[in-house]
Amino acid sequence: MNETICAVATPLGTGGIGIVRISGPDAQRIGEQVFGRCPPPRRAAFGQFLDGNGEPIDSGIALYFAAPNSFTGEDVLELQGHGGPVVLRLLCERVQELGARLARPGEFTERAFLNDRMDLAQAEAVADLISATTAQAAKASARSLTGEFSREILEIDKEVLDLRVFVEGAIDFAEEEIDFLTEESLVCRADSICTRLQELLRRTELGVSLQQGLQVVIAGAPNVGKSSLLNALLDTERAIVTEVAGTTRDTLEGTIHLDGLPVHLTDTAGMHESDDPIEQVGMNRAREAMDKADLVLWVVDDRETQGNSTLPYEHFVVRNKCDMTNRPHGIVDDRTVRTSATQGEGLDALRQCLKQIAGFQPSDDAFAGRPRHVATLQNALQSANRVVVELKQKSGEVAAEELRSVHKCLGEVVGETTTDDLLGEIFSRFCIGK
Amino acid sequence: MKYPDQFDVIIVGGGHAGTEAALASARIGAKTLLVTQSIETLGQMSCNPAIGGIGKSHLVREIDALGGAMALATDEAGIQFRTLNASKGPAVRALRAQADRSLYKAAIRRMVESQPNLSVFQDSVVDLDIAHDRVHSVRCGIGVEIQAGAVVLTTGTFLGGRIFIGKHSRSGGRAGDSASTTLAQKLRAMPFRVGRLKTGTPPRIDGNTVDYSELQEQPGDDPAPAMSFVGSVGMHPRQVPCHITHTNERTHDIIRKGLKDSPMYSGDIAGVGPRYCPSIEDKVVRFADRPQHQIFIEPEGLDTSELYPNGISTSLPFDVQVAAVKSIKGFENAFVTRAGYAIEYDFFDPRDLEPTLETRAIESLFFAGQINGTTGYEEAASQGLLAGINAARKIAGESQWYPRRHEAYLGVLIDDLTSQGTNEPYRMFTSRAEFRLRLRQDNADMRLSECGRELGVVSDERWLAFSAKREAIQDCKTALRSATALPNDPKSHALERVTGSRIERDMKLYEILKRPEVDAKAIHKSGWLSNISTNVLEQAAIDIKYEGYVARQQKEIDSVNAKERLTIPDGLDYEGIDGLSNELRQKLSENRPRTMASASRIPGITPAALSLIAIHSKRGHHQRKIA
Repeated sequence: MNETICAVATPLGTGGIGIVRISGPDAQRIGEQVFGRCPPPRRAAFGQFLDGNGEPIDSGIALYFAAPNSFTGEDVLELQGHGGPVVLRLLCERVQELGARLARPGEFTERAFLNDRMDLAQAEAVADLISATTAQAAKASARSLTGEFSREILEIDKEVLDLRVFVEGAIDFAEEEIDFLTEESLVCRADSICTRLQELLRRTELGVSLQQGLQVVIAGAPNVGKSSLLNALLDTERAIVTEVAGTTRDTLEGTIHLDGLPVHLTDTAGMHESDDPIEQVGMNRAREAMDKADLVLWVVDDRETQGNSTLPYEHFVVRNKCDMTNRPHGIVDDRTVRTSATQGEGLDALRQCLKQIAGFQPSDDAFAGRPRHVATLQNALQSANRVVVELKQKSGEVAAEELRSVHKCLGEVVGETTTDDLLGEIFSRFCIGK
Repeated sequence: MKYPDQFDVIIVGGGHAGTEAALASARIGAKTLLVTQSIETLGQMSCNPAIGGIGKSHLVREIDALGGAMALATDEAGIQFRTLNASKGPAVRALRAQADRSLYKAAIRRMVESQPNLSVFQDSVVDLDIAHDRVHSVRCGIGVEIQAGAVVLTTGTFLGGRIFIGKHSRSGGRAGDSASTTLAQKLRAMPFRVGRLKTGTPPRIDGNTVDYSELQEQPGDDPAPAMSFVGSVGMHPRQVPCHITHTNERTHDIIRKGLKDSPMYSGDIAGVGPRYCPSIEDKVVRFADRPQHQIFIEPEGLDTSELYPNGISTSLPFDVQVAAVKSIKGFENAFVTRAGYAIEYDFFDPRDLEPTLETRAIESLFFAGQINGTTGYEEAASQGLLAGINAARKIAGESQWYPRRHEAYLGVLIDDLTSQGTNEPYRMFTSRAEFRLRLRQDNADMRLSECGRELGVVSDERWLAFSAKREAIQDCKTALRSATALPNDPKSHALERVTGSRIERDMKLYEILKRPEVDAKAIHKSGWLSNISTNVLEQAAIDIKYEGYVARQQKEIDSVNAKERLTIPDGLDYEGIDGLSNELRQKLSENRPRTMASASRIPGITPAALSLIAIHSKRGHHQRKIA
């Protein structure tokens, strides 16, 4: 087991603390790169989790357990940060960037058992769990989009096999008066594979964002009713609302579902000129949140005359407090809506706009893929693009290697070692042999 | 009656597997005896007179790197050398040699006879003495029993062989030799799974009756390359061309009319033939739309006019064979000197073998070559070498050895056979090797010499030659890393003229060599590194070109290696594992994978299934420990 695996170890959603767990030989190195240092074993250390540019993603506690004294029996690193889904996703992506791959269900436990960190009874439970998960997944895939997803992948894999038959045939049977490598049609086939992979990737990415939802940040000047808007949308009393400007000094989050599409809302501190260091911290957080958002809801007081058209983010204007101006609530134009958060007016219109702006009409187009599928399909596409280049240069053996890599990636996505009978295909199609 | 001497290792069979096994065992220092039905046929090429080819020359070079005989014998006997896939990348380039049968046999026999620690005895082996699941001796036809610490069986097609020509069939090994039916019966009674395979040969033709002016000539490479890393052009005998002709519609009509008397179509032959080497009747039936099929005409030797028309292997009745031959361009007046025939023979399911080629059921008994379901001299010889090494090491109490899939084609061969088995005669192809870009014929010595030296099969002479070459390549790479091409240097201009590759900034030659259009020759032609030999520069250039891919594959190899270390207990009950599909259960029970790596290569296996196997394996080990 020398692959390093990672996963978010806490339930996704609105928990206060989120943990990313990493297990495997690279855990220590990843710790050094994400955290700046890997803390000594079994000692909690506080610090910042950094992205590839050295910018902080989040701050929190890192815990390191050296093999074999850990849950899995391997080197384990736990990064405990804030529970927000954006932050956890970014952190998990960063860890993958550094060489870990997302764990399969039950894989941490499985490793624990294989490394003698568990007894027989526990192990049997794990075996039962895997076998149950498999059965469940099989049932689920029969019903869901996954069925179509796998079908599409298998179809592309079939095209890959077709192409491999020609490339491998030309390599292994060069004496047989067949040299397909000089044929233009091979490049066309490779192009077609690229196109299909691109489309598949697009639909999978769409599906993943559907599952992960839209990241929406509520921002604006102090006391324009951002927290009220969040509360109204969440229909809870999560944010503390007072009449004192600058109450929200940190970011607050919540998730709503619009026709099954999760929308993660983040409330931020008001943006204004301030020397208060605490407020400045809050405003910096707000800027970071806007950086990472899919959409910014820029809230203005309806009594103000103008919005903020120079905001450097994809944004939508919410003219709040329309109960104070007696203007009608509802859609103003395609970039503006008028609401009264406290009176609960204009919220339906806002929800409608959110759906439209996001472009997330409930769609048959999306594939219910997972983030790891996206990563693997990206690799497949990259290799497929190389196939085109290498075939143009008639470099058969390298094209063959990239095709093998495409095939391998597709197999990983459908979760099956599809060792196909490449030679069998060659023999059935071409008359080969002396 | 007991033979007066005892031996460490006895090799049964004197073909390509047997001779390599005997030589390797003796090189290691084991007191070795080779028992053969006929000393005259040591190293006999019983099929077509060619060594090497795509995938196969890779094996020959590996045998050579491990001190084996095949490549050197080919250099002594090769009457034509030709590089295949010359227009493609170095990883798939291959060398094929036409060999003079008698020169080849003579070379092998001389090497066997001059090998210290090795004796040859002529008789057939009719039985093995096995007690307590271990082999102790072999019994010969004249009633003599010879004791040995280990026995390697390399009996080729002689085991239960049956020859078919039309409606006629008779017991026999390769045409002219008798079959080892007694031994076959004895072995069938042992706990091995037995299968039946078939192969065939074409009718042979007297070259004096062939109209060469009608044939297309195919010359060899000039200058001819050497097969062995320590061989040279100077060893080669006189070089001759091969020829090409084709069948035609008339040939196909004759064959179609004769099908009713073909043993394959009448159901007389039960064995499975190789899909890549179909008989001419098979080709005509399965690819009915093809107007012609290629025939590659190989000379049998320098001192004979007999020809081997490769591509028309057949078991049709003799009169149909003759008529079909005479319908072919250039063969109108050809005289058939030997009839083509199909041969069916026993093989033992190689999944009953360890990857060391020792049988799983009987200790110290090794199988190598066609007996394991392979075809081809190169496949046989490489297995023989491995079995010989392990038999000798077993006697010396040393650990067993076999190469892995990423180390050698031999590793691919052994793993495919022992973990997946085969249902047709197994032949090597480069597409079987997933790590093809690193398993090249040009670097077989770099991959295996060090290992061979440790095993004791590589002589001092070879080792010195290899060490010098390795050092030269290292030095060459250093030179390429330090040599800079400047945009205005005349040599850079020369390179631009030769390759069309632009040099727009200061660049190391090492980097320039990664461009597809630049090769070693271009570097030399432009005036760089003239102090380095072309061979060495070429070798360094190939390494550099594939460097990126080799590095990328390393991750895959690491992951496989980790799975290799996870063993699966021999008696794991797959029926008792919930969550496995019935299809997988069946495949797993048949293949009985030894490691998780091997299980992961079973077609249709899923990560979830692998997890289940890992957990249940571990549980098996647990319970054993408790018991």
